[in-house]
Amino acid sequence: MTLTNFRYGDVIHRCFRCGYCKFPINWMDVNNCPAYARFRMETYSCGGRLWLTRAWLEGEIEWSDHLADILYSCTACKNCEVKCPLSFNIDILNMMIAAKSEMVERGEIPSAAKEFLENIQRQGNPYGTSREKRDEWMEGTGIEAYQGQEYLYYVGCVGSYDTRGQETARLLGKVLQKAGVSFGVLGNDENCDGNEVRNLGEETLFEMLAEDNVAQFQGLGVQKIVTLSPHSYNAMKNDYPGFNGVFDVLHYTQLLQELIRNGGLDVSGGYNAKVTYHDPCFLGRWNEEYDAPRAILRAIPGVQFVEMARNRNGALCCGGGGGNFYLDLLGGSEDSPARRRVREACETGANVLAVACPNCLTMLEDAVKAEGLENKLTVRDISEIVGEACVIK
Amino acid sequence: MDIIACIKRVPDTSEADVVKIDPSQKDIEKDRLAFKINDWDEYVLEAAVQLKEKLGGTLTAVTIGPKEWDEVLRRALAMGADSAIRIDQDVSADDPHIVAIILDKVIRRLPYDLVLFGAQSEDFGSGHLGAMVAEILGIPHATLVINLEAEEKKIHVQRELEAGTLQSYTIDLPALLTIHTGINQPRYISMGGIRRAMQKELQVMSLSDLGLSLDALTPMVKLEEMRLPPKGKEAELITGAPEETAGQLAKILKDAGIF
Ligand code: SF4
Ligand code: SF4
Repeated sequence: MTLTNFRYGDVIHRCFRCGYCKFPINWMDVNNCPAYARFRMETYSCGGRLWLTRAWLEGEIEWSDHLADILYSCTACKNCEVKCPLSFNIDILNMMIAAKSEMVERGEIPSAAKEFLENIQRQGNPYGTSREKRDEWMEGTGIEAYQGQEYLYYVGCVGSYDTRGQETARLLGKVLQKAGVSFGVLGNDENCDGNEVRNLGEETLFEMLAEDNVAQFQGLGVQKIVTLSPHSYNAMKNDYPGFNGVFDVLHYTQLLQELIRNGGLDVSGGYNAKVTYHDPCFLGRWNEEYDAPRAILRAIPGVQFVEMARNRNGALCCGGGGGNFYLDLLGGSEDSPARRRVREACETGANVLAVACPNCLTMLEDAVKAEGLENKLTVRDISEIVGEACVIK
Repeated sequence: MDIIACIKRVPDTSEADVVKIDPSQKDIEKDRLAFKINDWDEYVLEAAVQLKEKLGGTLTAVTIGPKEWDEVLRRALAMGADSAIRIDQDVSADDPHIVAIILDKVIRRLPYDLVLFGAQSEDFGSGHLGAMVAEILGIPHATLVINLEAEEKKIHVQRELEAGTLQSYTIDLPALLTIHTGINQPRYISMGGIRRAMQKELQVMSLSDLGLSLDALTPMVKLEEMRLPPKGKEAELITGAPEETAGQLAKILKDAGIF
């Protein structure tokens, strides 16, 4: 059986397997595609996936569980798009997502991806935890429900349900309270933002989530949104306008940078550590916001900031994108991208690895444990570092 | 081969603490729960669709319930069922015998070689609806089917018993099977597929269309009360560094006389 609705049939052959898509911005390493880094086989690089997709398209190979795993191990980190020298690079990631869409339509996707999507259909989050528990993270914080405040604080699924994500969600809330920002949250009425749903190739479910969220936000009169997760930020900023949802969307690091700059947030409490920063793909490569998180860290007294060898648009993905924080197709090895990344962070001599994404936070924190680096390196979200610098307990 | 798949919609109760008993004490509070297709019935539909893809014929999905139950039929239609019938009656609190009588009436109106049920439901879990319907229809049945291979006039099945023991049977058609999880890997039903299935016709029938009235159907068993299990002893969480927690745990086990 060949692919029936594949939109890129006339361009996919342009990939000539040069392999550039595996590099970071310079030639220091070939391991900047997280899936390739994990498996060290061409099949798991962007070029490999494109050739397999083309072979599937042309009927040379059949669908198999293995082919599905290879496609779904792409984390949608966009390194390949930045690095591929050909003009068709603007579509190479879309080609891989389109191949996943084809698998979604046939119903033939990895079982963890099935679970992920069905959980979202049913409970509005990938974990399958009840919608009625979405607001448990905010217990005792005094954070208000959204009712016309200046900002909607959109927390997202990881911040709402993951224990570690909840801690950052709470701290960001407290930081915003301390800065006197007028904001409210949706609590149990918040639904999945759909960013990963789109990356998993479930287009119609993504459309439904985007339409529902846009209608809900507009119904409440929301104009400005601040998000905890870069994944939500990306969907709301770049995709929701296609559903008539034009909002003023900020990632929280952008808002905090502004608050620190204009004196609205006092970080003079400081944070004494040697800190390096991991760029989340959906803030960095997807939205080219590299400066706000760095500016925040540099503004905090006591922070000694160092860069990792791979940074900004050459950063290595933590391996959690494309739903892989849940699918876990890249885990279980010392070559897992998150483990490679924490080793790289250690090489800088930093004792704190700062992140600005709850997915990166959980992925990298687990990697620190797996590597036995707990005594050398702590993973902290920037919201937590700022929280400490403005003396929030 | 003509197949009828009988499926149902159940509340998602995977987290025990969201389940609460309603004031009637005969049901759980449902208004804030999410609903889904019964787990076993996903395997029923996958098995049915695979048979249809291999052998041709028709697949009809049947359910009994109010309007919201259409969603499980839409999934069946999206997966490849040719038609879907909903009997518009809330029988969720009724005893399986009443449900069996209604299903018998529906099934008799349709062409069939094979009738498929889930081995049990996630909510009430009685596990005997399929067998009852087979008895009323007067056709052979096998429960807990984990493997099946169909021929023109017979079907080879394997049943899974305790500890994975397998029993093999060859059964003449028409027959009824109750399907166990693990018989296949149910495919994902895309939202696009479900949206397209909205165009397909879904037949709604009432009890009187079947020549039945609820008053004339007397239950064989009656539910008296539903109750949550008594809270067990609180779990004890030991926290701290492994060097300390290991010692604490050893002490607890020793005090309990385990070693
Ligand atoms: S996707 Fe681009 S960079 Fe990668 S192998 Fe193909 S042509 Fe080369
Ligand atoms: S998006 Fe990232 S994971 Fe996917 S092929 Fe490109 S570099 Fe590899």
